[in-house]
Amino acid sequence: MKKVFLILLSIILIQFNSDDSYSLEPDEILKNTKQEMRARNISKNIRCMVCQNQSIDESDAPLATDLRILIRDKIKNGKNDKEIYKFLSDRYGDFILLKPPLKLNTLALWFLPFVFLIIGFFISFFNNKKFNKILK
Amino acid sequence: MNKYLLKFPIFLFIIVLLVFFYLLIIERNPSEIPSALLNKKIKNFESESLLKGEKFFSSNYIGKEIILVNFFASWCKPCRDEHIFIKKFADKNLKVIGINYKDNPEKAIKWLKKLGNPYSDIAIDNKGKIAINWGVYGIPETFIIDSKGVVKYRHVGPVTKKIYRKMNLLLKEIK
Repeated sequence: MKKVFLILLSIILIQFNSDDSYSLEPDEILKNTKQEMRARNISKNIRCMVCQNQSIDESDAPLATDLRILIRDKIKNGKNDKEIYKFLSDRYGDFILLKPPLKLNTLALWFLPFVFLIIGFFISFFNNKKFNKILK
Repeated sequence: MNKYLLKFPIFLFIIVLLVFFYLLIIERNPSEIPSALLNKKIKNFESESLLKGEKFFSSNYIGKEIILVNFFASWCKPCRDEHIFIKKFADKNLKVIGINYKDNPEKAIKWLKKLGNPYSDIAIDNKGKIAINWGVYGIPETFIIDSKGVVKYRHVGPVTKKIYRKMNLLLKEIK
């Protein structure tokens, strides 16, 4: 039983640790470590439009490779992160950003969960017998 | 008060259910992403022409008249499937510009000789940079550009009979 538990635990820990899996080819990596770190960070936030539930950092799709190279080219040309994100979202829409930006049309997406939480909180509160007794 | 509050989650659940049901029955492809370039002016680009052996300037075609821009490659099976419809557009005197995506030029020319060439001119996109600038994520993709150079329609995937009809209606509307 203990063995099974340990095996399961290690599988779970491996899953949590798999954050570093990526599809970067060795020749794509920039010599400047700072620039490479920036490229990796941006790539992690960009959705692979082919696989859709992976970032381009994790994806093997040819388009993901092209976008990784493009991001590195832009960094080498002195573009800042904001300009790179804008370049990509201008062409592929906000969908390419894994974290949707806070805009008028995404307000519901960001705040509706909190609204539901508050509603749920009130419902459970008003249906609480102890609370009703106090009110009475 | 309490009675109403108890009914509220059920009411909310039914609404959510109805929304999901509506999304399920309407005709849509969830994996198809609307183009961010829709109703925006497309930027001009330069490349090599596949057939003319000279430079390709998009400014020669974009913004002059209504054109169809089709991203294709000889290795792409769906491109072969839609080719008949792309030819039909060209037969209707619509200018069709091809963008040959990451292809071997010799194979592309052979492919066109075999299946027929509906394109007025073809730009070579050997590194996929033009495709990225157009927000393309999987070929074939077809765009309708109006005479002002504005993107009016984008279709991802092969043009089928149904899409062909839809595009014709849109073309009539634009004209």
